[in-house]
Amino acid sequence: MKKNILALGLSLFAFANTQAQKVEFEEYTLKNGLHVILHQDNTAPVVTTAVMYHVGAKDEQPNRTGMAHFFEHLLFEGTKNIKKGEWFKIVSSNGGNNNANTTDDRTYYYEVFPSNNLKLGLWMESERLLHPVINQGGVDTQNEVVKEEKRLRVDNQPYGGFLANVKKHMFSKHPYKGTTIGKMKHLDDATLEEFIAFNKKFYVPNNATLVVAGDIQKPETKKLINDYFGSIPRGKAIERNFPKEAPITTQINAKAYDANIQIPAIMAAYRTPSFKTRDARVLDMISSYLSDGRSSKLYKKMVDEKKMALQVGAINLSQEDYGMYILYGLPQGKNTLESLVSGIDEEVVKIQTTLISEKAYQKLQNKFENRFVNSNASVDGVANSLARFHVLYGDTNLINTEIDIYRSITREEIRNVAKKYLNKNQRLLLEYLPKKDTK
Amino acid sequence: MKTKIALLIAVLTLSFSVTAQVDRSIQPKPGPAPKVKLGKAETFTLDNGLKVIIVENHKLPRASASLTIDNKPYVEGDKIGVSQLMGGLLGRGTKNITKDAFNEKVDYLGANVSFHSNGANARSLKKYFSEVLSLMADGVKNSNFTKEEFDKQVKLTLDGIKSNAKSVTAVARRVESALIFGKNHPSGEFATKKSIENISLEDVKNNYNAYYKPNNAYLVIVGDVNTKKIKKQVVSLFSNWEKGSIPTTTVPAIKNVPHTEIDFINMDNAVQSEIVIANTINLKLGDKKYYAALLANSILGGSGTARLFMNLREDKGYTYGSYSSIRQSRYAASFRASASVRNIVTDSSVVELQKEINKIRFQKVTAEELKNAKAAYIGSFVMNVQKPSTAARFALNIAMYDLPKDYYENYLANINAVSLQEVQDAAHQFFTGNKARIIITGKGIDVLKNLEKLKYNINYFDKNANPTVKPKMNMPIPAGLTATNVVDTYFKAIGGADKAHAIKTIMTSSDAKVQGMAINLTTKTAAPNKTSVVVFGMGQTLSKQVFDGSKGYAEQQGRRTDLTGEKLKEAKENSGLFKDDLYKSGSLDRIENLEGKPAYVVISGKTEVYYDVKSGLKVKEVVTSKAGGKEVKNPVNFSDYKVVNGIKFPHKISMKMGPMSMEFIVKEIKINEGVTDADFK
Repeated sequence: MKKNILALGLSLFAFANTQAQKVEFEEYTLKNGLHVILHQDNTAPVVTTAVMYHVGAKDEQPNRTGMAHFFEHLLFEGTKNIKKGEWFKIVSSNGGNNNANTTDDRTYYYEVFPSNNLKLGLWMESERLLHPVINQGGVDTQNEVVKEEKRLRVDNQPYGGFLANVKKHMFSKHPYKGTTIGKMKHLDDATLEEFIAFNKKFYVPNNATLVVAGDIQKPETKKLINDYFGSIPRGKAIERNFPKEAPITTQINAKAYDANIQIPAIMAAYRTPSFKTRDARVLDMISSYLSDGRSSKLYKKMVDEKKMALQVGAINLSQEDYGMYILYGLPQGKNTLESLVSGIDEEVVKIQTTLISEKAYQKLQNKFENRFVNSNASVDGVANSLARFHVLYGDTNLINTEIDIYRSITREEIRNVAKKYLNKNQRLLLEYLPKKDTK
Repeated sequence: MKTKIALLIAVLTLSFSVTAQVDRSIQPKPGPAPKVKLGKAETFTLDNGLKVIIVENHKLPRASASLTIDNKPYVEGDKIGVSQLMGGLLGRGTKNITKDAFNEKVDYLGANVSFHSNGANARSLKKYFSEVLSLMADGVKNSNFTKEEFDKQVKLTLDGIKSNAKSVTAVARRVESALIFGKNHPSGEFATKKSIENISLEDVKNNYNAYYKPNNAYLVIVGDVNTKKIKKQVVSLFSNWEKGSIPTTTVPAIKNVPHTEIDFINMDNAVQSEIVIANTINLKLGDKKYYAALLANSILGGSGTARLFMNLREDKGYTYGSYSSIRQSRYAASFRASASVRNIVTDSSVVELQKEINKIRFQKVTAEELKNAKAAYIGSFVMNVQKPSTAARFALNIAMYDLPKDYYENYLANINAVSLQEVQDAAHQFFTGNKARIIITGKGIDVLKNLEKLKYNINYFDKNANPTVKPKMNMPIPAGLTATNVVDTYFKAIGGADKAHAIKTIMTSSDAKVQGMAINLTTKTAAPNKTSVVVFGMGQTLSKQVFDGSKGYAEQQGRRTDLTGEKLKEAKENSGLFKDDLYKSGSLDRIENLEGKPAYVVISGKTEVYYDVKSGLKVKEVVTSKAGGKEVKNPVNFSDYKVVNGIKFPHKISMKMGPMSMEFIVKEIKINEGVTDADFK
């Protein structure tokens, strides 16, 4: 009884809150297949113009890892009407800033301008969709740049190589087995012809979503969108047939080495379903329960009380086709990696066999409530979420309703999902070790 | 009639919307500039010195509080790390609440409360903010410091130091600050195992009691709050936070090096060099030259359109990004230009960085560059000014730096007023390229050889910024590895020792251009040790050397000389299909880097043979011979290995004979054919 009233009270209060925080948006599709989402917010003189293309590292050929991200770099090299080297200059000389990013599933480009430059933002994004200049000079320069990015972000960073190693073992058929940044050799082997073909296949309006968010007036904005994007020709429909992975039924044991670390790490990784599923959201909550905050189970036991770990955590790396649930720990002092795994396993077994306490459940709900309030705080954050929910989830309104999914998750579901996915025979156990010193 | 017109209008409007054309070749111009509205901040000061800044914003139901303690920096000396430890221990239980209960409460509310040596932060949903602010205040005023928590934190800190030991970027950042400001400066000193182990619980308590005080502190509250109510709460929570008598300190003076020098820190695992060119300056918020300095820095390296980025990344592809920064400060202001570049282009990157620094010091920037830099600042200002956190930051700066109240109202006008001359003056004054430290953290064996060719003195430092000696330029040989192992690996790499030794004859035909003349070199070898080398050019045989297993001759322009003595001995040694068999009896001398790739060096008689560590293939041979009484080294490089009949042969052979270099491209290799006994007569 008490539980029901509690839940009811929470949901009523939450309802009141969401209404005050609802993200209003309007969406429609042009004849050429371009999906458009508009969000009006006149409280600050800022506008974000962004395009999300439904192409990412998983669309690459297996011997051309890194191509989607490499191509993202090429799209800054110029268009028919924007000379090479001018892109960044145009943005900053008009008071804006811009960037792009690539994941396994999608590529996202955006500009943030003072609101009197809406036309400029639309022109720029339409230019790179319609007629980007892709030439050997650009390929040669950006090849070196992308290789430096890999060295900076991954190769020269402590623990930088762990994700590549987890993916390599977690996936044998699906392209998720490669990394977004790619292999040095594949980057060197990529040819101009391949990039031109990549552009032709994936960078078409029917594979893209345009988001305009901020200090806009809708009628004027719609007209400008039609002016700049309406006549861009539709491309061929894209067929996707990603191979499915057979479930993991025996524990995979692996080792990897890193010359940049002194202290080893242990990673236990489980393959989980797409972020579009309910189970993925339950795993978010499990992750938060286990390692978010100083009173979380793993931190409290392994870092604080038993002093076994320097760091311990759980990451739910959810993606479009599959997810990876990764528990990791760095041992303190002379503690072994095995002892860390045992300590972590103890908590996982607990969550699989007993319901988490009412208080812990309440705590989770409060945390996710907080996350929700903060998630739509900035206009460019809202733009990204709108694009993401449409392109990858197929439901733009999730920006407002995803929180309801979290609110409806029960303690029983938490236990059941843990039981379903977090078993020892379903995982990769990766020992991530320091490379032996030659000195 | 009416309907016809209506239809016509309908058709016309339809066609307008479908065929609306814009001229894409014209870059759109901006509309009228949006109005700039500075946010409002309320400020008041408590008796204990705590200055409070409140900015209301009701867009989202959340609020945050940020405490900054702005004492003058001080040197911790042999106890460096004490304030860091103290900060790490704050909030672990107070006189009023246990550590576990505190953490439970904060997490339960979905909030964040954190503490550090110079302040604290708290944020939460509006409905819990009052409770969260109380928790933060309690931690600030009443934290317990227990032996148990102290021991835990020391261990964590030591492990943290250990975990960063091989991180190139962590070492680079630490040593850079230590060199720029000096190890005995608050901004240059850093914690080590020794200093941490020298700290006791008493030291931590003393540090807290001496410095963690409201005298020079600021509390900034932003978000969905009511100013009157929150003011009341702040007064009730913080008024009893006792003022302290903070020890006076003098910050040591900082100076630049008299001449630009390279400071090198060796890290064997570096795949990129961290390059930072730095000098200290005298610049803080409120200085007249501040705006000119900002713009000069922006043009040099402030973004992806700046000179450093366009040069080192977009033009040369050396790096993912190269930038510069000018850091104003009352105590430790500095200028830095930096890039993380792949090892092999370290020296070139240093040249380009210095080139750009010098250029902006001695040549005025273009009017367009200045216009664009101003536009970027103005745009950023306009876009950020209405954020509540910006209003708070402005109020905080005005208080901390003692700026005039209308400082930010004049910001745009001041940016716009900067002239080309002022930019150059600022660059000249603040980017002292002739008195800078070029600090490079990277892999010595890959980069030092070329760095030595630049005109700077190189000083060597270890990972703790102590002066040290030049690192070894060779890599140690793995235990037990011998010349035989290396040659065996070579045979394996080219296709197998058995296959190679089963070959009866090899004929190789290569072309080259020597001093403009096209020549062909044809070598024929037959097992066990017959050799014939013929050089053909200008329609005739230019030279020939033959050895039939026991005797031989050399022929030059028709004149024939029999091989005797030294020359005969050499011919005997250099015959055989694969000279490498001979090298097995040589000695494995060292591992040397060839263009960034390590190679085993085997010494056999007068020959040094290089085998690539990774591939096993032979990449170079250096024969030392006597010419005119002097010892001359003749290097031969092998590359472009291709398979012929199951065995890999190099198809590009370049050699240097004194000042002359020749590159032979192999056109044809025949195995077990095209060679007869007649070739060796």
